[in-house]
Amino acid sequence: MDTIDDAIATADRTWRAQGVSGADRASLAADLRADLAAAAEDGIGPAELLGPDVPGFARRLADEAGVRRAPREYLRFLRTSIAGSLLGGAAGFALITMVVHPLLVALFDLPRSVKVPILLAAGVFYGAAVAFAVAGSVAAVRIRLRHLPYTRNTANAMAVLIPAAALVAAPLAVGFARLTGYSTSPWVVLTECALVVAAHIGAVLLARRWALREPGTSFAI
Amino acid sequence: MVVAEDGDRQTQLLRGALDMCLLALLAKEPAHGYDLVRRVEAAGFEAVGYGTVYPLLTRMRRLGLVADELQPSPSGPPRKVYALTDAGTARLDAWRRQWRRFVEIVDATLTDQDTSRASGDAGADTPTDTPRS
Repeated sequence: MDTIDDAIATADRTWRAQGVSGADRASLAADLRADLAAAAEDGIGPAELLGPDVPGFARRLADEAGVRRAPREYLRFLRTSIAGSLLGGAAGFALITMVVHPLLVALFDLPRSVKVPILLAAGVFYGAAVAFAVAGSVAAVRIRLRHLPYTRNTANAMAVLIPAAALVAAPLAVGFARLTGYSTSPWVVLTECALVVAAHIGAVLLARRWALREPGTSFAI
Repeated sequence: MVVAEDGDRQTQLLRGALDMCLLALLAKEPAHGYDLVRRVEAAGFEAVGYGTVYPLLTRMRRLGLVADELQPSPSGPPRKVYALTDAGTARLDAWRRQWRRFVEIVDATLTDQDTSRASGDAGADTPTDTPRS
């Protein structure tokens, strides 16, 4: 740590790891930089002032400044949301195929003259499964990660962004399947799954990032 | 070993009084962070470094006890100088009264102990004629 820039960079990394918001990091860094510059004018360098434990100093400074901390925890949100969506999707699929579909067949007897568009039927079937997956994902995050800051805001944002991501990913996956002649070869199926999972990951990361923005921009539904 | 214990004890004693001392030093004259560290050292607190003073100064600013303002520097960019606010002045007065009461109590307690020890020592030095039964 030879220069003020080095010291500020080290401190900023520490604050970032602590989950200090960008605005607070910038404010702390600007104040510290001005003070270190004043000391440098008197011939005292940052190494002499701060000593070797700059991260420790940065942590103390953030504590005393009382800045808002919100660890990003992207991986935990991703793991939990994916597990929740798999469980929710599986439960929804089972409910539709084993309960709802037989029930509808028993209750309603459509005349043969009524033709239900295949796209509508597929949309309702898969749409319902996706709705269950989204609900499972959001519920899992809200329940399992409720002890983390801004989880509610993150879950609310997920409830909007995951369906939006699904609306983008589904046509892409279907288009890709069509391009490959609806092949069931492993790499084709894996690619289709990867498209959906990538959209889900993007939505969750964006939701978390959105939720951690400055206070006053909370995502309320 | 004794020196290390003395150092720890000094640190513990200082922990409860450093914020008050910083306010007192800033009440005499506003200062920027590093300047305040030099004044703390000059006052006799040798073990207190920038890593302790600057975060504490930040806390006092958060609590509204000190405020900062930019002052021109003769040899560089303007410096951020910290000074007491009205709330800081009031808090310093209250802390000063509290500290003096505390010191009086501690002094009185130590004096009582010194007195009783001195009388105990005097009693031990005086030979007694009373035979043991």
